Order: sequence, then structure tokens, then C-alpha cells
Amino acid sequence: MNTVMECKHLWKTYEPHLVAVKDVSFRINEGEIKLIFGPSGSGKSTFLRCMAMLTIPDKGDVFLRDECLTKPEVDLNRARARIGFVFQHIYLFRHLSALGNVELALRRVLKLSKEESRERALRALREVKMEEWAHHYPAQLSGGQQQRVGIARALARNPDIILLDEPTSALDPELTGEVIDTLRDLAKKGTTMLIVSHEMPFAREIADEMIFYDEGAIVETGPPEQFFTSPQSERAQKFMTRLIKKTKREQDV
Amino acid sequence: MDLVQQLLLMLGGVVETLAISIFSLLLGLLIGLPLSFVKVYEKGFRFFVDGFERIFRGIPEIVLMLMFYFGLGMYFQFPFKNAFFTAFFVLGLRSAANQSQIFRGAIRGIGEEQMLAARSLGLSRLRSITSVMVPQVFIFSTPGLGSEYALLVKDSSYAFVIGVLDIMKTTDMIRAATYDFVTPYLAAALLYILLTFPIATWLDTWGSRRKKKLGL
Repeated sequence: MNTVMECKHLWKTYEPHLVAVKDVSFRINEGEIKLIFGPSGSGKSTFLRCMAMLTIPDKGDVFLRDECLTKPEVDLNRARARIGFVFQHIYLFRHLSALGNVELALRRVLKLSKEESRERALRALREVKMEEWAHHYPAQLSGGQQQRVGIARALARNPDIILLDEPTSALDPELTGEVIDTLRDLAKKGTTMLIVSHEMPFAREIADEMIFYDEGAIVETGPPEQFFTSPQSERAQKFMTRLIKKTKREQDV
Repeated sequence: MDLVQQLLLMLGGVVETLAISIFSLLLGLLIGLPLSFVKVYEKGFRFFVDGFERIFRGIPEIVLMLMFYFGLGMYFQFPFKNAFFTAFFVLGLRSAANQSQIFRGAIRGIGEEQMLAARSLGLSRLRSITSVMVPQVFIFSTPGLGSEYALLVKDSSYAFVIGVLDIMKTTDMIRAATYDFVTPYLAAALLYILLTFPIATWLDTWGSRRKKKLGL
């Protein structure tokens, strides 16, 4: 299996003593879906941003395919162009339509022609079922629709991998569903994804591996079933119990 | 001086006033916009931007104009002995200092996240600024730019001390020729209002509407 992304002994410390990423090593292969979960403030987002080199790690190496991104001479813009990133709070460009948001990188990063960019952007919007909203501005879309555009924006460049940072946690429960459906479609197509999420039923359904992350480190990894039936570590056990309770409560409502 | 001559003279004054105001607004934009981004994103150069702003916001326009026209003009006849150039240049620099502050507020208001999202797509920093930040900065800044334009129209009247034939100067010439101490000034007052209000208001309304639509 081809390794798409890998990191070795990654460290990131925020002043003065907050260690968000503590000696983390991790690998994801072509077509795999891995899901990171853990308490808030444990450093999951920082870890994800370090993988995309949006936050520069203090120590350790990040590899995209065979290229080491943590070497000083690497063209990070070119590397980031091959990584899709979806933000919790979406961050669509507010002055551009849905189409404009998706088109921008195709035009300015991949330097495609106007026609080709348009065509590919529309195709990406179709994949997330947002084609008919192409000419709407972000402010005219619901949160779920905005996030689907955010996913299309990340997807349109055909990145090697998509990193998603809690893509549904800023959304109402009813809007969460439509975003989950989109991710499920992507999973079926074999998209390589690293997702930070607490959507447990979804995780159980699509994740190849789940990763419990706490206090800046990977505490436990394993197939979803392991976490749902018999988590090995005590911390994961406690966290899962609470999460499952919460999910049940939400489903009852 | 008959009425037609007076009106023609005034009309010439309107053209000069408008030209100075618009050119200095553009010069201010050309310098102020990069300055604002330098101040926010290039911590090392902050000192220079601060110095520039303090100097041009702190010294009265009239002092600057006389300093440039007579002082610099002594050594550099060209271009500073050209009153129109000096007026537009001084007001442009002053406007750059103001606009830099206006834009900086907008950059802060728009937030780091837009930049982060742009960088995540692989856009370079400069590209992110030009394609993502600048268009939003403009929309965000329209009310400030409207007042800045109005300020420039009014401050361009200082140019009359170095001999620019603007509204102020032509008004004064008509006053001297006709011994009418009321009508020319009233006409000038009305002209200044007509030149400032509609454009400043239009910018403000356009900007508010745009902001509302985009949720900025």
C-alpha cells in the first residue's frame, strides 16, 4: 500500500508550556480513512494543521508521498496545493460566490484556463450536490451548504489527501447530516481522508482506523469496533462512555 | 468681470479641486494599501510605517505644503515648484497615512482566518493578499474611504496658499474683482458640499449594501 502522508516524531509547543503535539508519529495509506477524536484542547487541530504545514512544527518531519515537507527548501505552497483542508468554521471567502471559492485555487494555484477551472469547479460542486447554488454567496447559504462548498473547495484540486478538522461540530444537528452524507460519498469513492470528528455512528461506519488523541499524543489506535466494545486505555474508555451517552441522548431527542 | 467669466473661472476651480482630491486619494491608496499590509504582516517594518504615519498625520497640511513648495522647491524646482503637483503630492502622502489606518482596521476586522484558508489552498502570501484580502478590505473600508475623500476635497482648499487655481483661489479672485464679499463664498460653500456629499454618501450606501449581502 502506498503511504500518502506520514509524520515522524512531530512536536509543537505553544508558549510557555502547552504541548499540543508531543512526539507524534503517524501514517496514512492510499484510500484509507482515519478518524481522530479526543477531548477538546488536546491538540488535535494543531496536529492536523501541522500535517498540512499550516502550522509549522517545532521538531520532527512530515512527508507527503516521498517528499519531506519539513525541510527548509521545500516549496510549501506547492505542497499545500496537494493537500485539501476543511475547517471547523469553514472560512469560505465571503466576497466570492460558491463557484468563485472553488475556482480560485484552480485558476491561481494550478493555473488552469478559465473554462477548465469553471468546469472542474462545477464538477466539484456537483459532487457535494451544490451545483445549483454555484452563484450564491456564502452569506446566502446555510451552514451545512457552506461546509459542503468548503469540501468542494478542498476537493477540486484533486489533492492527495483531505484533512478535515471537525467539519460538522459548528453545525446544527440537522445540518450535520447533509455534510456526513457528502463525506460518506467521498469515502465510497476511495478518497484518502484524515478526519477529526466526534460523530460516532459515522466513525463506526466509515473509519478504517480510529485514533484517540489526548494531551498532545496518540493514546490508542485501532479499528472502530475496538473502541466501541473494549477500548484498551482507561482514558479512551472514559471518553467513549461519555461520547456514546451523548450520542444516544441526541438520537433520543 | 462679468458673470459668465466668473462662472467659467469657478468651473475651472471645480476641475482643479476635483483633480487634486481624486489624484491624492489614488496616491494615498497606492501607498496606504501596501503600508497597511506591511504593518500587519511584517513586524520588522512596523517602525517605519509608524514613523511615516506620525509625520504625515501630525503636521498640518498647510505647513507641509509650504515646506514642500518653498523648501524642497528651492532645491528641486521640478517638480515641487509646480503648485498643483505639490498640493496633490502632499495631500496624497497625508492620505496614505490615513488610509493605511483605515485599511489596517479592515484587515483586522476580516480576520486571520481568510488568510489561513487561502494559504491552505496553496496560494502564496502575496496571492492570498491580492485575491482574498484586498477585495474584502475595500468593501470593509468604504465608509472610511468616503470620509477620506470628503476630507481631501476640503483640505485641497489649502492649496490656494501656494497658488493652485482651485475653488478657494478662484472664489478669492472673484471676491477681489467684484468687491462682493458674500456671494462668492456662498457659492464656494455650496460647491464643496456638492463635491463631497453625494460621493461620500454613495460610497457608504454601496458599501453597506455590499457588506450586508456578503455578511462581512
